[in-house]
Amino acid sequence: MPEVPATAPRIIEALWERAQPDEMPGGPAPMLSCADVSEVAERFGLSGWQVEAAALSEGMVPRRYSRSMNAVTPAQQATILSTRVALVGLGGLGGTLLDQLARTGFGRIHAVDGDVFEESNLNRQALSTMKTVGTPKAETAVARCAEINPSVEIETTNAFLDRDQFAAFLQDADIAVDALGGLRHRLALQEAAAEAGIPLVTGALAGWTGYVGTVMPGQIGPASIMGTDNSAEQTLGCPAPTVSLVASIMAAEVVALATDRPASLSGNILVIDLDSGSFEKVSL
Amino acid sequence: MTIQVKCFATLASHLPENSDEFPIEQGDTVRSVAQRLGIGEEELHLIFINNARADLDSELSNGDRLGLFPAVGGG
Repeated sequence: MPEVPATAPRIIEALWERAQPDEMPGGPAPMLSCADVSEVAERFGLSGWQVEAAALSEGMVPRRYSRSMNAVTPAQQATILSTRVALVGLGGLGGTLLDQLARTGFGRIHAVDGDVFEESNLNRQALSTMKTVGTPKAETAVARCAEINPSVEIETTNAFLDRDQFAAFLQDADIAVDALGGLRHRLALQEAAAEAGIPLVTGALAGWTGYVGTVMPGQIGPASIMGTDNSAEQTLGCPAPTVSLVASIMAAEVVALATDRPASLSGNILVIDLDSGSFEKVSL
Repeated sequence: MTIQVKCFATLASHLPENSDEFPIEQGDTVRSVAQRLGIGEEELHLIFINNARADLDSELSNGDRLGLFPAVGGG
């Protein structure tokens, strides 16, 4: 549940002073602009996500989430705002995931990647642009997240983590996301998430083939069967459509986990083949 | 008896022309079919039959859908 600060009544009052009625699917609703949220957050020394969660609990709607409202209820949106996500990898999958998690309003994102953007990332990595080539991915992610949704508290670590460091990285997270490139560290991350007692959403691809899975603590996951050696992407590459699709399905799983809806891929792996246009859910 | 075979990613080059009606015999396993397709056991990571994970020793039945998936880890 959202953390309610001691100044809550004064915050609510400040929000009601600013809210303006606007159209929603169920009729007009008191709505807050991005500027309203920023002003109140600054005045009370809060993060935007805290202000937005407080507003939702009082029946006000932050306009930036207003078009999610039939798919994400106000109560679910408040829960998403207070959910902490640990995102491992800010490359192809991680860049698109960061974009979608920030837009969806995950209030606290801790992301890690020790890489620097290169020209060879431009074919698929959402955070790579002509401007960011040569820049650390961790640094670019903070700037991009602030551009998309300043209500999100983002913290990044500019490093490559190994088996021993995953445990500390996942310590405060509610959900772990495996957006690593390559198989080498995926099993260690899956095991660290299990030890931390939190669900892991994972996905990977090679060419026009990919997969997504959700691993609850104690379950077998894709990393248990894929090994840690060379894999198919080294010859088939990673094209943008497959990357974005896999990342989108992963993001949908993260939303389901955060909002206590059934994570449709828990204990399963969704096998995607864009050559034949097939999606197959396989139980592990 | 026939099965449907799907070979994913780098295994696609092993897909037989008659992949929708690939002939099998009584007692055929994933291992024996993979051998006929020229796929090395070490290349197989995820094996599934009719939407459930299987292994090299799983026996195949008429009408089964067999999926063969290599190591994939790109991001």
